[in-house]
Amino acid sequence: MRVSRAERTANYVILVGFAMFALYPVLTILAAALGPDDTGRATSSVLGLHPGNFSIAWNVGHFSSYLATSVLVSTTVVVVSVVFSILSGFALGTMRFRGSTLLFYAFLVGIMMPSEAIVVPLYYDLRTLGLTDTLWAVVLPQIAQSVAFGTFWMRAYFRTSSRSLVEAARLDGASTRRILWSVLVPLARPAIVTLTVLVFMWTWNEFLIPLVMVTSESLRTAPLGLAFFQGQYTQGFTLLAAGACIVATPVVLVYLFLQRHFIAGMLEGAVRE
Amino acid sequence: MAQRTSAGPPGEPRRVAYLYLLPAFLVYAAFLLYPLVRSIQISLYDWNGNTLATWAGLDNYAEVVTDPALRSSFGHALVLVFFYAVLPLVIGLGLASILNRARVRGLAFFRTVIFLPQVVAMVVIGVAWRRMYAPDGSVNDLLRAVGLDSLARGWLGDYTAALPAVGFIGTWFEIGLVTVLLLAGMGQISGELYEAARLDGAGPVREFFAVTLPSVRGEMAVALTLTVIAALRTFDLVYITTRGGPGLSTSVPSFEVYNRAFQQGRVGSAAAVAVVLTLIIFLISVGITRVADRDSR
Amino acid sequence: MRSRPTTLLATAGLIGAVALAACTPGSNADNKPAASATGQVTTDASKLGTVTLTVWDQEVRGGQAAQIQELNKEFQAKYPNITLKRVTRSFDDLKTTLKLALSGNQPPDVFQANNGRPDMGSFVQAGQLVPLDRYAEAYKWTDRYPETVRNYSSYSTDGKTFGTGTLYGLPQVGEVVGIYVNTAKLKAAGVNEPPKTWADFEASLATLKAKGELPLVLGNLDKWPAIHVFGTVQAQNVQPDAIRTLGFGQKGGSWKTPENAKAAQTLVDWVNKGYLSKDVNGQGYDPAWQAFSKGTGVYLIAGTWLQADLGKAMGDKVTFMLPPSASGTPAATGGTGIPWAVSSKSKHPDAAAAYINFITSPNAMAVLAKNDNLPIADTAEQEATGPLGKAVFEAFGTAVQKNALVPYLDYATPTMADTLGASLQDLLAKKATPEQFLDTVEKDYSGFVSSNG
Repeated sequence: MRVSRAERTANYVILVGFAMFALYPVLTILAAALGPDDTGRATSSVLGLHPGNFSIAWNVGHFSSYLATSVLVSTTVVVVSVVFSILSGFALGTMRFRGSTLLFYAFLVGIMMPSEAIVVPLYYDLRTLGLTDTLWAVVLPQIAQSVAFGTFWMRAYFRTSSRSLVEAARLDGASTRRILWSVLVPLARPAIVTLTVLVFMWTWNEFLIPLVMVTSESLRTAPLGLAFFQGQYTQGFTLLAAGACIVATPVVLVYLFLQRHFIAGMLEGAVRE
Repeated sequence: MAQRTSAGPPGEPRRVAYLYLLPAFLVYAAFLLYPLVRSIQISLYDWNGNTLATWAGLDNYAEVVTDPALRSSFGHALVLVFFYAVLPLVIGLGLASILNRARVRGLAFFRTVIFLPQVVAMVVIGVAWRRMYAPDGSVNDLLRAVGLDSLARGWLGDYTAALPAVGFIGTWFEIGLVTVLLLAGMGQISGELYEAARLDGAGPVREFFAVTLPSVRGEMAVALTLTVIAALRTFDLVYITTRGGPGLSTSVPSFEVYNRAFQQGRVGSAAAVAVVLTLIIFLISVGITRVADRDSR
Repeated sequence: MRSRPTTLLATAGLIGAVALAACTPGSNADNKPAASATGQVTTDASKLGTVTLTVWDQEVRGGQAAQIQELNKEFQAKYPNITLKRVTRSFDDLKTTLKLALSGNQPPDVFQANNGRPDMGSFVQAGQLVPLDRYAEAYKWTDRYPETVRNYSSYSTDGKTFGTGTLYGLPQVGEVVGIYVNTAKLKAAGVNEPPKTWADFEASLATLKAKGELPLVLGNLDKWPAIHVFGTVQAQNVQPDAIRTLGFGQKGGSWKTPENAKAAQTLVDWVNKGYLSKDVNGQGYDPAWQAFSKGTGVYLIAGTWLQADLGKAMGDKVTFMLPPSASGTPAATGGTGIPWAVSSKSKHPDAAAAYINFITSPNAMAVLAKNDNLPIADTAEQEATGPLGKAVFEAFGTAVQKNALVPYLDYATPTMADTLGASLQDLLAKKATPEQFLDTVEKDYSGFVSSNG
């Protein structure tokens, strides 16, 4: 099928157009963050750029504390969720037992459930238990959400993994645990990596749950820090843009390095087998 | 009924399965299923969060239908569905089929860029677009540059324009996902189908409707499900850009849940809104999947 | 494959979960108002041992930030045993996060809580604030703060009555909403002096508009700024006592009066005549006054909290005046700045009170004045800085002396801030007529008053 020159060019034009459209807001923030401070405050410039804005935003906006909390929360949620999901996905994907279908549907419900449905009772119940304003209140609900998707994801993978491998291993006398961790998991690396990056992204970007569950400054996550920074820093836009960059960068970096996994994950995410 | 099913490998222990499921299920049940049940329970009461609650029966649910503020918030959510789901789907179909027809160099690069909005935190997106929509922001600059001065305004403070403005952010956010998704689906269409259509004398438009569109039904269903759920769940974006204003013109159900439960002390009503929202999301997800399954060969 | 037993199991599990959850919400809540501590108050903070106080405030703008930073430094130097952990937020963010925080398990020790019923009123009702009367006695706040001022932060212990009762907060600054005038632009447009009567003021609006200037600057994206503008116009038409009844959410008032209707209509007239910017609801509050400080517009109806920022940016090109009144006795929205309060769950109420005492002491009042704020106590002894400062002090002094202060309208009911804010946006955008606007507000007010008992 020959594609005419004109059509080729047109395609490029459209593509570049959409790429610009997608990037424009991001570039706006980046440009503002690197530009001169629009409140007239003098900052040092390097080649016309003002990287000093980032360190000012960092200090004024207490982003070091927020980022540290975000890292702690995201890491915890990712590690626990992925492990739990591997376990449950393995069970649902390779074993037959009573109630397996019911349990699968139970997990499916969790994927569709919005945070709003649970945040209200969760706040009041955790408050009674004295757990609000602790990291547990932020981490545990997100583990629950991630595990719902994670179980679905790992189950889908394990179902298609080689049956014969499992049989062979079992005939060799391997225990279930050995089968999972020594045989299946190494092969499942791509699926696990995808799950990891997705859970990381969703947890890092989560806003509502940390907003409600936590009041102490030291436990705020990065997106919340940015939201309050917007209200607090009323002069101009430069520092706010710098803060926004700081908050978005970790996930964007991970995305740029592992984009294949991101995209693959989100595409196959809800496709039924 | 035989207890042992024959499909599993021999000697497979069954009890162990429950053990493996336990950690995940415990956390999940405690922090997702149980609160859902509690939401339903709380929604049957009138509660301010501090003192003892009083029984309200289905009053809170009645309020969802009768209170104009709540009704309009759900209406706004539907408007957002148009911007988050329908618009990107239409644009995405066009974009993906154009990309699919021609061999374009650097497709992977473009794919990465177009998909980028999906990974940026919604708070950051809100901050960026709030600035762009300001009376002196980029959107108005662009309009003035092409001579459409009369359209320039403070978008997020304009009664009629605020909701579409917020919706358009959603369009921007979702186009990448939808396009990439559809492109992946189109990439799997066998060339023979196109050959056959061309032999029948079909031009590019006919090709699209006869071959491309039916083949990506599955991907379209996925795209619709993801984007519709995203539209109905919008909270972060509204919180950062408009807080539901001007007036109540951009209020959405999830914002009402937050506002009622934690600002106004009407926890029972908030729970009812949350339950209704969840129900709608379920119904739509299941509905879309049913339709897609029924039509797929 | 769903076998019968499994379905039964599932249903049983569900019922069990509901049964478990069956206790009425709030039945385990500890909702008694905190038992008031009695006995001597330790007024020497250095004797309180090592203490960390978490402080939440909204002192983010120029002069406010400067004064609190200076005072905090002095406090920690004087009392090294007390460490201050300070968290600053914008006014709006503080309002939202404070509600969640106070109902949680680890609220801040000291914080600024807006006096009105939506905030302090509901906190008092929920027993979340420490009554400050014994501290007022021990520290002799009653001597330096007149009763009219203390009333702004007083509620009955059940939270039902606002404006008298037990003291729950202490403010640092006074506030009054008046008119900032860009005198340079005013003169350039041919109006030589700031108007002395309301009629003159309205006439000047027309003159300025004719000369191509933007007469009145207002950025109402955040919903609350228009409440101040409306309050100013309302005070020209409605008797101060009637406004007080409405503002404090007391029984016996009504929004549906011809005077209130006239005030609402005036706003609509101003919109129609182009006295306000086209984008009134689209511009943020801070960008609006920042634009004013850079030369946009001639009048800005706002409060004395902008004194520092505007004074710094405009020097002697700006002045402040009370809304000129037709009848000679100006009525103006105002009272106190946002008072400081103590959480009933705080483990260090005495230290918290000592901190509040420190930031409201005579020394603190001098620091406030030095940083271009309007101290609420000992005002006469303070020196205002700069011509704008002098104008502000004079205006506030006059207002207090003539008993001309009326409360902020959003104090009235727990939902009034939202209701009034949203319906004013509707009114300004002409989505609601003055009639509809008053109906909405009246519904909120009378609904609350009748249920409040």
